[in-house]
Amino acid sequence: MSDRHARFDALVLPHLDRLLAFAARRTNVRADAEDAVQEACGRAWLGLDELRDPTKVRAWLYRILRGVLSETEERTARRRQLVSITRLEEAHDELVSSDSDLVFDEVASRLTGEEVRAALGQLPDDFATVVELHDIDGFKYHEIADIVGVPIGTVMSRISRGRRLLAGAVLASRTAARESGFSLSQERHGGRRGGSGTTGGGGTR
Amino acid sequence: MTDWTPLAPGSSEDPAERAARENQHQVLIDLLGAYADGELPPETTSQIDAHLVGCVRCRRELAVHRAMRRRLGFEPPVAAPPALRERIVAAIASTPLPAPSIDPRPARFAALRRPLVFIPLVSIIAAGALGTDLLVRQRTSPAAVAPLTESPTTIPLLQDVLADYRRVVAGDLPGRARDLDAVRSAVPFPIEPLRAPAVRLLAAWTTELGQEPAVVLAYRWDDRIVLQYVVSEQRFFQHPALRQAVAGGGLLAANDGTQGIVAWPTSSAGALLIADVPPEKLRALGAAALLAGKVARGAP
Repeated sequence: MSDRHARFDALVLPHLDRLLAFAARRTNVRADAEDAVQEACGRAWLGLDELRDPTKVRAWLYRILRGVLSETEERTARRRQLVSITRLEEAHDELVSSDSDLVFDEVASRLTGEEVRAALGQLPDDFATVVELHDIDGFKYHEIADIVGVPIGTVMSRISRGRRLLAGAVLASRTAARESGFSLSQERHGGRRGGSGTTGGGGTR
Repeated sequence: MTDWTPLAPGSSEDPAERAARENQHQVLIDLLGAYADGELPPETTSQIDAHLVGCVRCRRELAVHRAMRRRLGFEPPVAAPPALRERIVAAIASTPLPAPSIDPRPARFAALRRPLVFIPLVSIIAAGALGTDLLVRQRTSPAAVAPLTESPTTIPLLQDVLADYRRVVAGDLPGRARDLDAVRSAVPFPIEPLRAPAVRLLAAWTTELGQEPAVVLAYRWDDRIVLQYVVSEQRFFQHPALRQAVAGGGLLAANDGTQGIVAWPTSSAGALLIADVPPEKLRALGAAALLAGKVARGAP
């Protein structure tokens, strides 16, 4: 094995899991995420000489992967199905304006992985990306600025707004789930209100 | 930093002042994420500390930030399946060392992408070796280069490009890379920026060369500036010397003084690279772009 192969194996391969998770959150098909990671690794191999500081390999790999993913999105004209940002902001505003005791921490801690991914999927990619890079992948703001290619002030405001939108998405989904549960319950009970459907899904207060 | 504090109910305040206070408060709210993450300088942190004492809304906002961050921190990584690792390792193992600074194109590793049905690893490696060998032969046999036998200043297009290049590099670059979409929509021919690890798009703008529309893309290539001109195919193929040079599917190379030029036809336009380097240095960039265009078009 050449030094270059050894360097690649040591620097790149340990990050496959995280890269795949990041890609999987931006593609609807798991196989597409794997393709994107493979493509990113191929480019990393070809551009390995560009990596002068090995301590920055993770941010470098994410930057490459983002490029691959955005090209794929351009090619396939695939876009996320976004909900209205206004709706998410309203849900969030309702949460922080409420006079009731706030137990959002409890709500958040009980979210399933599927719910988290669904909520992230409702955010515009600019916001979801920076929130994920910080909160899931553990990058610092200056590293995110480098990966995404925006000033650090933009990272700051996107993370702040992104988390607010995310909380709004969580709450909006729960409200929708409660309402659909209520409708189902109404049908089952001949139009009478009742059953766990009216209060299920976990309250926010 | 704002000193926003909620007003008591019923208090009277000038609407303009209130709006200003709300705006200031919004600025502060936008900092709460960074505050929760410990990314603010100490003095700003202290000011927010003080503000939080009197602002219930911001305390709730902060709690939301912390709750979301905590929950997202528990998101587990996705375990990369062994087959993916094997495909990557096989692809890398059978790929010779790349030439420096050139990123061929996205499709390079497609030969080893996921199989439709399960294939034993040995077959994948064999197929990968074959696939990459074909690609590598393409790569190590770059497009033919046809040096221009006459002075570039005798060809109007090259003369225009040289003049415009010298004018541009003598001053500030006029646009930003994010304007690329606007530039694309302003011309009737496709614009395909170069893609290579050491090449970064800095700016894009439209111009006129010989009273015909053209697009200019400015790149940083290591520590030098490279300009790419994109013109209509009518303009590109106008001069017989240019037509002849690229007729074999290769690149035209020329130089005038310290400026090197390479040119090639794209799917329905023409591209020219120019920089203060000998054309041999630009050749690799041009060849990669030409190859990428052919791959994208499915051309031989």
